[in-house]
Amino acid sequence: MTSKAPTMRHIRLICVYWCRHAVRSGSGLVYLMIALVFGLSVAHILIMPVEQLMLRQKREMGRTDPQAVEDLIVGVGRPITQWVLGLRSMQEIAQQNAMAPPSGADERSETGSAREETGGYDSWTNFLLEEKPALLSAILLVMLFGMPFVIPFLAFNQVSGDVQSRGLRYLLLRTERRHIYFGRFLGVALFSTLVMALIVMTIVLYLAMKIRIYPALALLSWAGQGFLALAILMLPYIAVCSLISASVDSPFLSLVLAKLAIAGVLLLAVLGGLAWKPAEYLLYLLPWGWQNHLLHPEPGHWLVAALACLVYTSVFLLLGYVRFARRDL
Amino acid sequence: MNDEKRPGGLTALAVLNLVFSGWGFIGLLGFAAFLALRGAIPTDKMAEMQRAQIEALQNISLSVFAIIIVLSLVSNALLLVSGIGYLRQKRILGRMVGNAYAVVSIVSSVVSGLMFGAEMGGGFNIATLIGLLYPVVTLILLNTTFRDDLTN
Repeated sequence: MTSKAPTMRHIRLICVYWCRHAVRSGSGLVYLMIALVFGLSVAHILIMPVEQLMLRQKREMGRTDPQAVEDLIVGVGRPITQWVLGLRSMQEIAQQNAMAPPSGADERSETGSAREETGGYDSWTNFLLEEKPALLSAILLVMLFGMPFVIPFLAFNQVSGDVQSRGLRYLLLRTERRHIYFGRFLGVALFSTLVMALIVMTIVLYLAMKIRIYPALALLSWAGQGFLALAILMLPYIAVCSLISASVDSPFLSLVLAKLAIAGVLLLAVLGGLAWKPAEYLLYLLPWGWQNHLLHPEPGHWLVAALACLVYTSVFLLLGYVRFARRDL
Repeated sequence: MNDEKRPGGLTALAVLNLVFSGWGFIGLLGFAAFLALRGAIPTDKMAEMQRAQIEALQNISLSVFAIIIVLSLVSNALLLVSGIGYLRQKRILGRMVGNAYAVVSIVSSVVSGLMFGAEMGGGFNIATLIGLLYPVVTLILLNTTFRDDLTN
């Protein structure tokens, strides 16, 4: 039982079983619905104005002008993206708008050097909005921010329900605690990754077949990177849920604590930062402070961000395992 | 006895059915109110795009609205009945009616999309996909995951 091959076989078996029965147990179904509705709603909110603009162009000019649409997206999206990435504050953006109100289309027609002079242009924003499909970048940024709030619906009940019902005792006759703990973590990660793939694939297909302002290859490659970013980002949050689920007996309490921990860290950092600047570092208790770097143009940045996510995952997972291994079941 | 055997996912599906059915009936009331007041909506101070949408809706015949209301009414009633059927794990009330809801709802979404053009906020867009999500998930789950749980 302690040799490597049976361990891997048991973990794989528990992982696949958990994944297959996630929908049947309810948490998978609720997560599936919430994640799909959230992902597609974000896409709808961001794509709908573009569709209306294209419709108006068609009515007025008899055809759509993809370049003008793209220019407008970049123009509108630039200050918002800079704010989201933490490159500029709201005040700086408002000041710049007051000094020189630019329209997206006008800006794009200027030369590169003229653009630099108008201020605030940076390689990260340019990469997201001009080198990559801007609409998809915007959708991915919102999903990177929002999906950590959704993941507890799937991951809250990894072991707490079975601890409460004492069902784990029967399972432990056939396998070991570590197999159950790590197998279920991997099952949640696998299910979450599959759902992410479904959401990203649906959005990309829609953008490629209906909107048609970006080349299919560019969409596909950026969607692949965005999917990987989302899949990696979910791991530390799932591990936080593993830790909480292994520490409490009640699935409901586990869900509430997971929600509080994930949203609370962000809220404390943001609100605390308003009163006392160093409180902003609380963001780094979870990957909140790193996660946008998963979409950075420099490989060094996104590799470090991905590595940070894996380190967070290992730490939370290990803490959870230590607690789970020692507790009375 | 049935309650003990009922999987958590089926209970979740039943709760979702009841919630969506409630929202659906409230939405239908709103739609009926719009229908009654649609001639009285002042469009002169609206933006051009918004005015075009409202005017296009005002020009649709009553029979089209009647078809949409009937389809929505049937779909919401099926949703409510099947929700109760899932809770009691009934074959006809749960599985059959649930499948009927999914089919009617998919047809209703397609018909609405075809009848309302893109200028009226209709046509095929991501909102259509969101609308199709639940019926499609219902159709899949009832005929795979929960097929053997609805046997009473």
